[in-house]
Amino acid sequence: MPRLSVRLIARVVTTAMAAVTATACSTAGGTFAPATSRLITVVAAENFWGSIASQIGGRHVSVTSIITNPNTDPHSYEPTVDDAKVIAAAQLVIENGIGYDPWAADLLAADGATQTVLNVGNVVGVGVGANPHRWYNPADVQKVITQLVTDYSKLDPADSAYFARRRTWFNTVALRQYHLLIATIRQKYLGVPVGASESIFAMLAPALGLRLITPSSFLKAISEGTEVSAADKQAIDYQITHHLIKIYVYNSQNVTPDVRTQLDLARTARIPVTTITETLAPPGDTYQAWQVRQLRGIAAALAIATGR
Amino acid sequence: MNTGLSWNLAEDFRQLFLYSFMVNAYRAGTIIAVLAGALGWYMVLRRQSFAGHTLAVVSFPGAAGAILLGASASAGYFVAAIAAAIVIAAVPRSLGGKARSSESAVIGTVQAFALACGALFVSLYGGFLNSLTNLLFGTFLGISPAQVLTLLVVAAVALAALAAIARPLFFATVDPDVAEARGVPVRFVGTAFLVLLGCAAGEVSQITGALLVFALLVMPAATAQQITPRPALSFALTIACGLLIAWLGLAIAYFYPEYPFGFYLTTLGFVSYVAAAGGRAAASRVRKVGLQAVTA
Repeated sequence: MPRLSVRLIARVVTTAMAAVTATACSTAGGTFAPATSRLITVVAAENFWGSIASQIGGRHVSVTSIITNPNTDPHSYEPTVDDAKVIAAAQLVIENGIGYDPWAADLLAADGATQTVLNVGNVVGVGVGANPHRWYNPADVQKVITQLVTDYSKLDPADSAYFARRRTWFNTVALRQYHLLIATIRQKYLGVPVGASESIFAMLAPALGLRLITPSSFLKAISEGTEVSAADKQAIDYQITHHLIKIYVYNSQNVTPDVRTQLDLARTARIPVTTITETLAPPGDTYQAWQVRQLRGIAAALAIATGR
Repeated sequence: MNTGLSWNLAEDFRQLFLYSFMVNAYRAGTIIAVLAGALGWYMVLRRQSFAGHTLAVVSFPGAAGAILLGASASAGYFVAAIAAAIVIAAVPRSLGGKARSSESAVIGTVQAFALACGALFVSLYGGFLNSLTNLLFGTFLGISPAQVLTLLVVAAVALAALAAIARPLFFATVDPDVAEARGVPVRFVGTAFLVLLGCAAGEVSQITGALLVFALLVMPAATAQQITPRPALSFALTIACGLLIAWLGLAIAYFYPEYPFGFYLTTLGFVSYVAAAGGRAAASRVRKVGLQAVTA
């Protein structure tokens, strides 16, 4: 029985192979290029970059942010079909990079990447393994703004003067309070030792002139959701109970049991506590309103702690 | 942006292939369904589903390890699955019942250890390995043209190799003792088959995730072998069924993105198997009743 049939199977295998080759080699034009009349379609992987992008672009851009829900952990985000569609339809895609949103790079690769891509990691010159939370670094935010103006002007040269004006407006008007608060905190509390729950604060602290003394391995572990070492926990408990830190800054979107313990310890030790968040909270807020509210919280906590 | 399914089939079809990411997904799905169908058909016939599942599960630490080392997950799937195939093939399986039971014990041991390694790699990588669910339960988003090309090359080589050993492999599968007596290198074709199965498991994992490979590796073959005992026909049916599952699964996942792709794919496979098995049971009952009517 099997003789004839097996020969048939061999033939079916060969035919199937040919079919596979044919399917894979057939070309299907799937690229999607929206017609625009001086309106750049922009997709930001995260809403903090989206907020900045839409304010710099003003009336000549339309920005969609993918991660907007404050309860979504950007580290563990799984993209959807709709995300793939908006990325395919975009002219400019803003991704954080630095290993923070690899799904965005995957979606771009699947789309053949005809879009202009603004990768924040590339703009500020850091790679995977570095602290990815560059939107908490005022100097890096400026670099991203510069790149945004460059990219917008390339995509819509007719409005390059408009984008340059928007940038000036953003820095002098929109970010005025933000710059002012940073300068004030720096001036009043230079060198004050502080503690934090995770690495989103690690770049803001030096910008504010504060001395962040929490072990950086702990900040990274909480931020990335990995195992926390016992030595780090002991060191932090010691810092809190012995008042080595003046204030404790924690991410209210990521309160792990370890962070909860430290919060309780800090409250018992009467160390002022204040919060920052990973993404815009509430999600409809602007970047500057969100940052200013957090900076005011930090300033208030520092005022109570130091009496200055 | 939210384009649902309409009653206009041509329009739906146009929608489906509007974006390159869907075109890539369909190319990958087609390649994978054909390769998985061909290898899966032999796997079910050889009762090596457990080995096949293990090869797929092993591809998970492979992918996680590759990402950890900064390599592409795609390469990791293949390397791990093929390496595991060689390990499993190294276990003697030709000597009666005892060797068979020790084989499945070895496979189980390898599988458990591999999964544990996967967990380790994910933890070493830190919280940024954000594709964990995708590695386990599949995704069709983010397939690049380069990945499609890799899938195609591996599938073409594996299918060519399968075509080369198709006859001795079939013989060694249906009657290993007679095959051996006739001079068929039973052990060699068995090893070669496992390595090819590793290729297939590595490919399928890339869209179904490591845990749902059976959607394309077992379900089409199991369905076809329910429908007909004739080898060539059931082989062709397997490929057809696999393609149908892959194509329909992708279309449903595109138009109804609310639920995971792996769920759609596996449900289609499950439904086709249940329908085939149910149809077969019903047919045999009708035949029996008919026979009784004739004899009465």
